[in-house]
Amino acid sequence: MPRLAAKNLWARKGRALTTTLAVFIGVALVAGTYVLTDTINAAFDEIFSESLKGTDVVITAREPVKQDSGVPQTFSAELLPKVSKVRGVSLAAGAIFTPGGFFKQNGDRIGSQFSPKFIASTLPPRLESLTVTEGHEPRNPRQATLDQAGADSAGLEIGDPVRIAGERRARTYRLVGLTELGNASFGGASIAQLTLPESQRVTDNQGRFDQISVAAAKGAQAAPLAKRIAAIAPSDVRVETGQQNADRQSSEIRDNLKFLQIALLVFAGVALFVGAFLIFNTFSITVAQRVREFAMLRTLGASRGQILGSVIAEAALIGLVGSLLGLLGGIAFAKGIQALFKAIGIDLPSTSPVIETRTVIVSLAIGLIVTLVSSLAPAWRSTRVPPLAALREGELAEARRHGLLFALGAVAVSLIGLGALLAGLFANIDDSGQAAGLMGLGAVLILLGVSLFSPRLVRPLASVTGIPLEKLRGLTGRLARENSQRRPGRTAATAAALMIGLALVTFVTIFAAGLKGSIASAVDRNFQGELVIQNTDGFSPIPSAAATAARMVRGVGTVSTLRSTQAVIEGIGKNKVSGLEPATANRVLTLDWKQGLPATLRDLTDGEAILDDAFASDHGLEVGDRVRMGTNTGDQPSFRVAGTVGDDADLFGSVIVTQASMKRDFGITQDQADLIKLAPDAAADAVQSRLKAALRNAFPTADVLNQAELKSNQEGQVDKLLGLIYALLSLAVIVSLFGIANTLALSIHERTRELGMLRAIGMSRRQVRRMIRYEAVITAMIGAVLGLILGMIFAALISRPLADEGFTLSYPIGTLIAIMVLAALAGVLVAIGPARRASRLDVLEALAYE
Amino acid sequence: MPDTASSSDGTPGAEDRPADVGIVVATDLCRRFGEGEAAVDALTGVSVSFDRGRFSSIMGPSGSGKSTLMHILAGLDRPTSGSVEIDGVEITGLDDRELTSLRRERLGFIFQFFNLLPVLSAEENIVLPLSIAGEQPDRDWLERLIDTVGLSDRRSHRPSELSGGQQQRVAVARALVSKPAVVFADEPTGNLDSKASNDVLALLRGAVDEFGQTVIMVTHDPEAAAHADRMLALRDGSIVHDAAPGSAEQVIEHMKQLA
Repeated sequence: MPRLAAKNLWARKGRALTTTLAVFIGVALVAGTYVLTDTINAAFDEIFSESLKGTDVVITAREPVKQDSGVPQTFSAELLPKVSKVRGVSLAAGAIFTPGGFFKQNGDRIGSQFSPKFIASTLPPRLESLTVTEGHEPRNPRQATLDQAGADSAGLEIGDPVRIAGERRARTYRLVGLTELGNASFGGASIAQLTLPESQRVTDNQGRFDQISVAAAKGAQAAPLAKRIAAIAPSDVRVETGQQNADRQSSEIRDNLKFLQIALLVFAGVALFVGAFLIFNTFSITVAQRVREFAMLRTLGASRGQILGSVIAEAALIGLVGSLLGLLGGIAFAKGIQALFKAIGIDLPSTSPVIETRTVIVSLAIGLIVTLVSSLAPAWRSTRVPPLAALREGELAEARRHGLLFALGAVAVSLIGLGALLAGLFANIDDSGQAAGLMGLGAVLILLGVSLFSPRLVRPLASVTGIPLEKLRGLTGRLARENSQRRPGRTAATAAALMIGLALVTFVTIFAAGLKGSIASAVDRNFQGELVIQNTDGFSPIPSAAATAARMVRGVGTVSTLRSTQAVIEGIGKNKVSGLEPATANRVLTLDWKQGLPATLRDLTDGEAILDDAFASDHGLEVGDRVRMGTNTGDQPSFRVAGTVGDDADLFGSVIVTQASMKRDFGITQDQADLIKLAPDAAADAVQSRLKAALRNAFPTADVLNQAELKSNQEGQVDKLLGLIYALLSLAVIVSLFGIANTLALSIHERTRELGMLRAIGMSRRQVRRMIRYEAVITAMIGAVLGLILGMIFAALISRPLADEGFTLSYPIGTLIAIMVLAALAGVLVAIGPARRASRLDVLEALAYE
Repeated sequence: MPDTASSSDGTPGAEDRPADVGIVVATDLCRRFGEGEAAVDALTGVSVSFDRGRFSSIMGPSGSGKSTLMHILAGLDRPTSGSVEIDGVEITGLDDRELTSLRRERLGFIFQFFNLLPVLSAEENIVLPLSIAGEQPDRDWLERLIDTVGLSDRRSHRPSELSGGQQQRVAVARALVSKPAVVFADEPTGNLDSKASNDVLALLRGAVDEFGQTVIMVTHDPEAAAHADRMLALRDGSIVHDAAPGSAEQVIEHMKQLA
């Protein structure tokens, strides 16, 4: 029987190919996700272990609250001489390793937009991890080195000027050397090295380090040495062996990448889900077409088990081949996904592909399981064929009509899904992962339920979508519609696969549009100021001196700064905290006061805070209550709630405090943004260009945006993410399009004699092609209509809880229409092959065909 | 035999051609399948002319070449050598597009397995050739046809709701609807019981007698052949008998002799 299965597959190569392809794409995404994240992890491991080569003990500042900004905490340099005296220390040196910005003399940024750039100090040779490949290390405050890859990407050579910006004004350095970190790749990240004093100066860390590296004396063990150092170290630093430090950083990276991994696996899951439809449909159709063959085998004495075995074996073979190819393809996919990320400015470090045993096992198991499960029902049906069927003439295996009970079951599945979705949304589940899981399960059940119900929708939907074709094209349109309605179950399963992909596309499209609209309206409502200064990357802080420089520019009325950080709110958890300048904030911002007045902000004292209204009501906090926060300085200041504001777009996080408190209690000195109100009568355009000119040289990381640019900037970020999601969803859509081609090819095969007759009585090849094309278009449109409707429902539901936070749903009609048109065109595209084959049928052979 | 029934009104395709020239004329047809030693000659130099407005039957045992002959006459297959003229048009040199429009406009087909479209109603199946051409049916003619084939009360039924005989009657009407120059019928009674067979044959006979239709039928049913004006018998790729069929018994007798 396995031999028969293999022969059957070979005899139906085209179908086997598309089925295998469906498995391949899903599995490749799974494998690709693992390979990608494992590879990135490995690349970071390499970076960490390389950078700690020769370092036995590492002293870093503790971070009581881990910050998203990536700016490390520093500690006093006074610790160094004490460390040097500890027994077993051969050499200790302080270092700086802080984010900055690198530019060419003409102002062009070096490296990709969102990848970090680090300003690093040189270390004594024994502790230095960067090796100079060309030139030499910086020897005076005017010299700098750059990593080889960064210099190459910017086309810089030794002797060229390079501008480096930290917290202080940017300065031009002479590039005197190129470096590398072992063989590690940084992705788009870059490292510039300066002398220690210069790196302290430019990052505004005079008298401070963010790291002390220690080399042990001969015979001294790292671990006991770390203990001895810890004994003399103050409580704001952490003493680790090199290994411990590398391990900790690795595990932090792994935690950060976990989200990426899960997100990518979700897309893989979608592709597999869609693939399952294709596999199910293909097996259903072929089993139906092979009824006579099965019956013949049964008359020859084959048992039910043997028949079942042969179909299962066929599925297993497809699953295995698809999974194996998918596993190999995963390596290529990993590169592809990384390239996608790079295209939107996220350039992750990489190394040679890492294929863990887990990747192999999971990929093969998933591919095999999906194929077997999807083919189970059709395989079971094959065993129900009575031997007598071999002798029956005419059309065989009339599609089983599902009863009312089946439809009710489908509705029930959808409703359970809806229930799960709503529970995930509204049931106030604290664990956001659990809530998301529940919502995901709900969405899957809804999609499944609608798919199971969809055979009943095929007839009306095909009529609706087919009518324009019929009106326009007459007979070919009519026949296309009739043919698509012939086997509603088949058409439904084919369309449902497309529906799933398009529902998700529609959902993210609407959601992204809502997000963009909400951002835009939040900007409109909250920003009184005409201009904003922020980092060119849109999220990193900017030097506080930029605000000072901006105040000098003619036409600038008020510059009020916004700072932000994360703090652990007692009894609640980590939250975003913003700092404003009470004296001037009301001139640049219009807050949506729920309790309090603009005067509340104006009169805000350093011991007071304003809360986000939604946050306050979630945690039962009211004006007059006290809120205690653990900050990154290690302090635990307490604040009296002075008022609450609505914060639709999460501009300020959960808590607003004064700028003075931000500095004293939270240790934040860099600005997140500078909000600018023009002087009366000043023209925004003119002031903007003057500001740009004033900041360009000194603060190249600072960008001056007007309101429109601020909005489009934010929208651009959303669009980039949207593009990434589209690219990942497109794989599921492609699988479903294969499904259309497959169903079409198999249906045409069944209708060979009919096509022969049509050709004999005078239908032209072109008409045959057109008829089949339209059938594909109708199927695609059914999927598109269902997908669009479901996507809109999902968007409407899932955005409900966000409505309180000002999320306004808007339906981008143009884009939605474009999705419909694209679906129709995709139908035309996938029908090309089957249509061509149908039109080329030999009339006589087709007529003689059974 | 009313072989002069053709008049310019009732007979489709009757143009200004002398009546004594056949409407379908085959000259020296050879058809070889395969190559080398495995080659089979299905037709070995067949020349035959079919007169306008007559009902001809082609008989012969399996493998005699009768189906091949009809396929070539109908432009569904190409001869290895020789030529076919239909209503004055040499068809052996036509490309697929030209053959398609010839079939659509000048020929009608009736098949053994009815070959109706299951998704269309009886009436829609009848007008299918016109629909394909994008033409509107002549209502009077259509009504007369539907009436003639006796399907007035079944016109909106789908094929699955019709008996075999009824389905074949739909097929007959479909073949006649565009008033073709020739109707080719390939074993039209092969899948019918004797009652339904008789109905269909009577219809074809009537089409010839009343409408002046030319019908060429391949069959191995002597009963069917007896309905025709002329009986051709093929054996091993050539015509071995060409005469009026006489009664069914006579046809059987003829065929026995040939075998």
